[in-house]
Amino acid sequence: MQVVGLTTPQEVYIASKDRKFRINELLVIEDPHQGSLIGEVVESNSYNRFIPLSIGSGIHDADVIESLKHLGYSISEDEINIAKVKLLTEANFPVVTGCRARLPAFDEVKGFLLKGKREDALLLGEIKNTEETAASMDDELKGLCEMFSRGQLYKTRNVPFFLDLRSFQQYPHIGVFGGSGSGKSFGLRVIMEEIMKHRFPALMLDPHYEMEFAERQENLKEVRDFSQDFKKFQIGEHIGVEFKNLSKRDLLALLSAVSPLSEAMASAVERLHLHGDTYLSFSHRLELLSEALEKGRAKIEQALRQDMDPMEKDKHYKMRELLEKYQDIPLASLQGISWRLRRLHNSGLFSHDIKPVKEAMMQGKLAVVQGPIWLLQVFSTYLVSNLYRQRRDYKDGELKGEAGGEYFPPFVIATDEAHNFAPKGRDAATKGIITEIAQEGRKYGVFLVLATQRPTLLDETVTAQLNNKIIFRTVRASDIATITEETDIKAEEARRLPYLPSGDAFVSSPLFGRTVAIRVRYPHTRSPHTQNPLDEIQLHRESTEDKLLESIKDHLPIYAANLARAVEDINSTSGLNYEVRTLRDALESLVEKGKLKRQPSPLGNIYTAPVTE
Amino acid sequence: MLELDKNLRQKFEEAAEKMRLRLKQRPSLKTLRNAIVNKGVGTFNKCQRLDRQDLLNFIDKGKIVGVDGSSNSSKGHFPYIVTLQQAMAKTCSNDMKTITATDALSPLTMDTLLTEDEYRDFAKRNLAVLELRAALAAIEEFVPKVMLLDGSLVRYKIEAAALWEKLKSLALARDTILVGVVEGISTNLISQCLRGELPEIIHQASDWEILFGLLEVGERLEIAQGLFKEGFRTFFMRSSTDPKPIGIDLLEEQQLYLKEVANLVYTLTPKDGRGIPLWLDIIDATVRISDRVMEGLLSTYLGEDYAELIRPKREKREF
Repeated sequence: MQVVGLTTPQEVYIASKDRKFRINELLVIEDPHQGSLIGEVVESNSYNRFIPLSIGSGIHDADVIESLKHLGYSISEDEINIAKVKLLTEANFPVVTGCRARLPAFDEVKGFLLKGKREDALLLGEIKNTEETAASMDDELKGLCEMFSRGQLYKTRNVPFFLDLRSFQQYPHIGVFGGSGSGKSFGLRVIMEEIMKHRFPALMLDPHYEMEFAERQENLKEVRDFSQDFKKFQIGEHIGVEFKNLSKRDLLALLSAVSPLSEAMASAVERLHLHGDTYLSFSHRLELLSEALEKGRAKIEQALRQDMDPMEKDKHYKMRELLEKYQDIPLASLQGISWRLRRLHNSGLFSHDIKPVKEAMMQGKLAVVQGPIWLLQVFSTYLVSNLYRQRRDYKDGELKGEAGGEYFPPFVIATDEAHNFAPKGRDAATKGIITEIAQEGRKYGVFLVLATQRPTLLDETVTAQLNNKIIFRTVRASDIATITEETDIKAEEARRLPYLPSGDAFVSSPLFGRTVAIRVRYPHTRSPHTQNPLDEIQLHRESTEDKLLESIKDHLPIYAANLARAVEDINSTSGLNYEVRTLRDALESLVEKGKLKRQPSPLGNIYTAPVTE
Repeated sequence: MLELDKNLRQKFEEAAEKMRLRLKQRPSLKTLRNAIVNKGVGTFNKCQRLDRQDLLNFIDKGKIVGVDGSSNSSKGHFPYIVTLQQAMAKTCSNDMKTITATDALSPLTMDTLLTEDEYRDFAKRNLAVLELRAALAAIEEFVPKVMLLDGSLVRYKIEAAALWEKLKSLALARDTILVGVVEGISTNLISQCLRGELPEIIHQASDWEILFGLLEVGERLEIAQGLFKEGFRTFFMRSSTDPKPIGIDLLEEQQLYLKEVANLVYTLTPKDGRGIPLWLDIIDATVRISDRVMEGLLSTYLGEDYAELIRPKREKREF
């Protein structure tokens, strides 16, 4: 290996006759005047001057090349490999052309590959193309994680890639970008697993119902059980909001999440919601006012003049009172508010609170909050603001020297589809709090892990605050442009983004000061719904058929002429629900599969059990 | 488009017409073939591509070596000229053992001052000498079965007679077949023999002109013994799809190998290429002295200032 051609203090070309260069590998350039310089391969080319790229040239006649081979000359051995190498730190003056280059020993480049202490870091995977260097690494760093590539599961042979958790105080937040199938979800899963390993409290918003960590990945050598390290909550099922604690703003956000509110509705809510309202008191007020508006003042007055039981009377007094106070609120608005409120109530949202989430986090667990995206957005506004406020209050109190505030730990908030939670150019319920945490969270030890396939749609203030960016395959030109703008990714690497294999990523972090190419490790756990819909249908079909076969076994043979009778028998003994038509279809399909036999007879078909051999 | 002067265009058209006329005068391919055979100019034969086994048998007997030379003169005013010459013999195997012979000349280092033409002629002869030296050393060292030389064998006899005789006797002694591969045919053997048969206008036609498109791919015309220069045999062949044939020279003493050599050359030539065996092209690429090398050497050994002095004005054209 030798430096060739024109050099600059930043960039050189290195040629080798017998070794092909791999992108992102580190090389040591032995400059006689400046000592050893470390560079990274950013482009790798091979060239054979005898097989030029020219159309119509006869030189690549395969027969002739083959004949020459028989004579003892193989043209491919005249190949030269050329690498474009960027120096990691600028040299003082251009590198001497002709000086030697070689692969580094691990200790020479350790500082560029590993940051921070191993026990403080998230082990995300391996640094690509560092095999030779990894050979001279300490044994305790070797084979730390398992990788999956081309259908093979194996222990890593490369240098491990750590993201230092301790450095988050300085460079907070992680962004995970990548299109579908790029390995982004795997990446997010690995990050969360690592956070759980550190027992760092975390909250995960999971609109896809896929972030479960109980099911273990098969065939892994290293078995790790996370089932006790995370807790799953479904909004309305396990957790909800306490209506009493809702501010007017929260309530408005909740209602408009069901369906956008008109201005009249919004002002009606603001007027009708009183401090300390419970769900019952608030919904009751709404109902009463609607009824009053429907009846009208005259009718209520009239009713009050009549004799009725005291409860009714009381109700009418209240109606009159409400009517006086809120007579300008249109009935339609009230009804609009009512159905939205009912829908929230029916989802179970108001029957629970967020205590279980807090408890899980206090125990250093990962709390996974699942729910449909519309509900998740509003609910998480409430939840995240609440948690963040609690952490902030505690920390601020501590700073002011007011000890004794209720302790709440630092934590991580993670979500996929982050562009829904902090969209660019439009408002979303969560945007405010996410932006606030992005900008200030570092102070309080609250960190974001935001994943999205559309970084372009993510709010710019938020994107700018994501110090550590993990970028998987990205195809869309606008997203690549955003990534190029927001990271220190080089032009050569940006060009490679559309071609990255699934699971490969670039990490751009101020800690490394350069883009590192990594391959994410194979996660210990897997998403619960990895069954293919195609398999699901097949499985379901087979099991229904088996069930039917089982239930008609005792009623065979069945005569087509007397299907009605057979239907009755089968339904009554097995509790199935067939009709003549559906049973006939089912029998026919069983015949087709060879599970039944059909014999024609003058009175129609007879279905019998197949002859077993 | 370039706006052509009317007069100029007319003259150009005239010249093009004459060329076309001359080519049209050529009798039909069939007539030509018959005439060539009937007049005993030569015989047409087909070449065969050698298969793997044939090739293995071949190298059992010895290696194949290619010889080529390159000459490059610095640009400048006579006699401020340096000529760099390099000849190379290379074995066709992966060790690619190489023998090179190099020389640098300048009119200023000669005992007597030559004229420009004399110098050019001298350089030409000198290159032939270098090539022959490389060839001689290659036979001594590699004992090849076949030696492919770039250009006509007759040329060596003319340009460096003494060394040529040496090479010839060594080749005969060691049973190395000398093969001259001629890419630019300049002989006119056929038209001389067919004097009466051809129209007036192409009496002096060169052999490539007659044979252009006449030979099928892989076909060769073996010129009858005695028609070519004394001591040599020659044949023309269309070794690729390119319709312009190449010429192959052999020693008269080695003419029994003619068929074998033809097949070998045909096998080693890319079928869509220009018709030269790939091995010779590879050596050509290795031995070639590029203008950039010349320039670099000049400014290194002469110094930038002197190099500037002898650089002709035409080199400084901006467009």
